[in-house]
Amino acid sequence: MLEGLFGNITIEKILFTLFVYGEGYPLGMAKTFGVAVNRFQQQLKRLEDAGIVASKLIGRVRVYALNPRYPFLAELKTLLEKAYEFLPEKEKEAYYRRRTRPRRTGKPQ
Amino acid sequence: MIFRALDKKDIDAILVGGACVSIYTKNKYQSFDLDFVTHSAMKEVAAALSEFGFQRKSSRHFSRDDCPFFVEFVAPPAAIGSEPVRDKIALRTKRGTIILLTPTDSVKDRLAAYYHWNDPQALEQALMVAFAQKTDLSEVKRWSLKEGHAEKCRVFMKMMKTGVNYGRR
Repeated sequence: MLEGLFGNITIEKILFTLFVYGEGYPLGMAKTFGVAVNRFQQQLKRLEDAGIVASKLIGRVRVYALNPRYPFLAELKTLLEKAYEFLPEKEKEAYYRRRTRPRRTGKPQ
Repeated sequence: MIFRALDKKDIDAILVGGACVSIYTKNKYQSFDLDFVTHSAMKEVAAALSEFGFQRKSSRHFSRDDCPFFVEFVAPPAAIGSEPVRDKIALRTKRGTIILLTPTDSVKDRLAAYYHWNDPQALEQALMVAFAQKTDLSEVKRWSLKEGHAEKCRVFMKMMKTGVNYGRR
């Protein structure tokens, strides 16, 4: 949907993921979308170089989020919010409605 | 040296981030990151810096073996939060002119890191600059409110009043 604007579909998936969940990491995204992890790593690096996302190491995992200091963040979020409304329900269900609330250790997943 | 290299090729850039804090606090806080913003292409920047021995380490990073500083050209535009950088300072030194953020923008720049990432070091750096240099605190307040960080701005202003460890003016 925003592929034409962003140049490729991976960027669209990354931005929707970060918009919906607040953060994400390459392997998680690769598993969610069934795409090679290096494709996400490359595009996340591109977005980080451009100042659009920011990352930090948590343990051994590099976690990414939309960069709160990106000067066009409010406008980008508005665009993503609008575009998200147009995503097919099936796609939202498959990729963007993962459980995010905590689950106590020991309970079956 | 970096500015001389860029100037030689007619590349405009501004120094931002922790290096401004080092300059404004006379190295009370020492940063080994030199963050610049330029609208010029990285290819041109790389060519300019290579004449001075700096090698491109990744898309926006440069280093030189005998130089302890890590040079980065962060993506443009130069912004403080959601506002563009409007003013800059040209600091003349024995080795050339450095273009950098104003003290007030440097305070806002550090506060942005504190506001968005809860970084206590950034708050400390903002206080150091504000105590060391003439800073427009009403502008800092206006910007903070616009960014939606009234509560953390109050913390900063309160510490400005008490400012035990930051060398009160």
